[in-house]
Amino acid sequence: MPYFDHSATTPIHPKVLKKMMDVAQQHFGNPSSVHASGRKSKAIIEKARRTIAVAILASPSEIIFTGGGTEANNMVLWTLIQSEKKHIVTSSIEHPAILTVLEKLEPMGISCTVLPVNDQGRVDPKILEKSIQSNTGLISIMMANNEVGTIQPIMELIGIAQKHDIPFHSDTVQTLGKIPLSVQNIEADFMSFSAHKLYGPKGVGFLYKKRGRSLNPLIIGGGQEGKHRAGTENISGISGMGEAVRLASENLSKRMSHLEALETVFITHLNRECHNAVINGCPNHHLSGVISVSFPGYKSDILLAKLDRLGMEVSNGSACGSGSIKPSHVLEAMGISDSQNISTLRFSFGRDNTEKEVIELVKALGQFANG
Amino acid sequence: MGDRIIVGISGGVDSSVTALLLQRQGYDVECVFMKNWEGDEDEFCTAEEDYKDALTVCDHLGLSLRSVSFSQEYWDTVFKYFIDEYKRGRTPNPDVLCNREVKFKAFMDYSLELGAEKIATGHYSIIDESNSGFKLLKGLDPGKDQSYFLYLLDQDALSKSMFPIGGIEKIDVRKLAEESGLVNHAKKDSTGVCFIGEQKFFKEFLKKYIPTNPGLIETTDGKECGKHDGLMYYTMGQRKGLGIGGGYGKQEAPWFVAEKDLKRNVLIVAQGHDHSSLYHKQLVADQVHWINGSVPENLSEISAKIRYRQADQICEITDLSVNRCTVRFDKPQFAITPGQSIVFYHGNECLGGAVIENRSFH
Repeated sequence: MPYFDHSATTPIHPKVLKKMMDVAQQHFGNPSSVHASGRKSKAIIEKARRTIAVAILASPSEIIFTGGGTEANNMVLWTLIQSEKKHIVTSSIEHPAILTVLEKLEPMGISCTVLPVNDQGRVDPKILEKSIQSNTGLISIMMANNEVGTIQPIMELIGIAQKHDIPFHSDTVQTLGKIPLSVQNIEADFMSFSAHKLYGPKGVGFLYKKRGRSLNPLIIGGGQEGKHRAGTENISGISGMGEAVRLASENLSKRMSHLEALETVFITHLNRECHNAVINGCPNHHLSGVISVSFPGYKSDILLAKLDRLGMEVSNGSACGSGSIKPSHVLEAMGISDSQNISTLRFSFGRDNTEKEVIELVKALGQFANG
Repeated sequence: MGDRIIVGISGGVDSSVTALLLQRQGYDVECVFMKNWEGDEDEFCTAEEDYKDALTVCDHLGLSLRSVSFSQEYWDTVFKYFIDEYKRGRTPNPDVLCNREVKFKAFMDYSLELGAEKIATGHYSIIDESNSGFKLLKGLDPGKDQSYFLYLLDQDALSKSMFPIGGIEKIDVRKLAEESGLVNHAKKDSTGVCFIGEQKFFKEFLKKYIPTNPGLIETTDGKECGKHDGLMYYTMGQRKGLGIGGGYGKQEAPWFVAEKDLKRNVLIVAQGHDHSSLYHKQLVADQVHWINGSVPENLSEISAKIRYRQADQICEITDLSVNRCTVRFDKPQFAITPGQSIVFYHGNECLGGAVIENRSFH
């Protein structure tokens, strides 16, 4: 069954699965226990933390395990409640795991500036600089967008934050394993990650928190994760995530060139089969293998259903929005008309996809949306 | 594999068994869950739970399920009308309109676009194809017949629809569901207006959309006997919630809504179920619709229902134009309600209907 929806989630890597099963079968101890079983579990978690830290060139103490990317985002945003500076700057193409949280925080005294993007989905650093106020306590801008794959001028944006001494958070769940990412290059103060976007398990993720930055816990109880995240740890999930990050980091260049090749095949064939198709996003700053295509005159839910019948799985908008075709807020922010918006599909390729599958996909598209 | 049929599935037992039967008959079955309501009314609406039930059933049967939103269509064609009717002091029937505008239009168009031969729903009615076209017949189970709600369908809609459980009794539908291991085999039938849910939420819901305008309650002889919260909250023949003690008046008999005086914003009540002001022999209805597309040839020997589940009432259409009709009943009818539909039958065949405009005693 050809699956082209890797930005929604990815199948678990066999090596990750093996790791998780080994851990789940053999190690049940509570990492907080002092006896041998507990120590073993603790060691597994710390090994995963070290692996992840090495992969992004951070220090292990800067890695906080969470229940996923959404939770990591929430931790950073909710910290504003206790901050003196209660203004945040974000972008109009963030995931609901940012924008909906900010809506919730607004009546609690958090004010918010939502930056526009250009027609390619990029934030203009100059506009960011202008939006900074004396009480700006956080800037949160995603590194790469889940719907169109556009990569932000992240270093420039971070540079502005540093110049004004404002903590910078980036939702990077779409990025790890797709482009080089280390905290040496990307000097953000916080970054949110999710395991299931890189062939790891669901329900586990982590937050990178630069040493010295303050963070309030959302979940309070025992003292796990340096008092940042209470609750007995998801040992097998965390070890699986460690393995997934290790594999992503070891195979990064191979994965990237595979995705680039698939994308080239896709676009070449698409131009041939669907003459009116429009590719959205930024050709120069773009995650390979994440492609947003509008098929003017065709409704995305109908196209999606027809592909689904053939076992070809794609999405319209982000996975959380499925069920109806609400125009995507990301495409809307890029100035794309409603009619084009609701005719847009997102294809996101992965390591298991083959060129043959991609050609089959475009053939089907040519059949359903050629005109 | 047989023709592709797209089943509108609600999470209830009827539509689930509809999908089950078509699958057994060898059709290429796909399911669609219609989401017709959006907003912060979640407190009233059970759509989320219903969707989960539908998903569990489809997964069990190995059928695909898509959730599709027709909330814009519902709002524009059904809900606005619903609110306007209440503002006029009438009691509309949104389900009748929902069938014509959403299930048998928006959903049907969507399904045909997806390559379906026909759509199917879990209505208790029968479609009979004859030389003279498609007839809509009552469902086999007399307690469940839903032809009343389908009288606005036309030949085109009937030609592209299937009601597989129309010829089965409810008890057997539940049995089929249980035998097949469907989780919702014992799920309670839905009642009330779909977007409001249980009746107890009704007042609260309506208040959100229409300003309340309290006034006086008077008896049929003009005596003040209480206060009402707004005429829209009451319907003809209503007994509960009037707030008039049984002790008021001469006897202990309960009070019923007999009339709404919109000009004076007064609710008029009558005491005792047999009170003559609660009964009318004649009504005028408009928005006349005939299922076969024109006035049926034999309009003598017809009967009608003025509300869902009412026994057929012998009547005569004494005056008929394209849009309006005057109907005279054999026996006086209790609580004829403006805004509700009168649906005409010839034996088991549903001929069509109209929306009740007003009524008179003679």
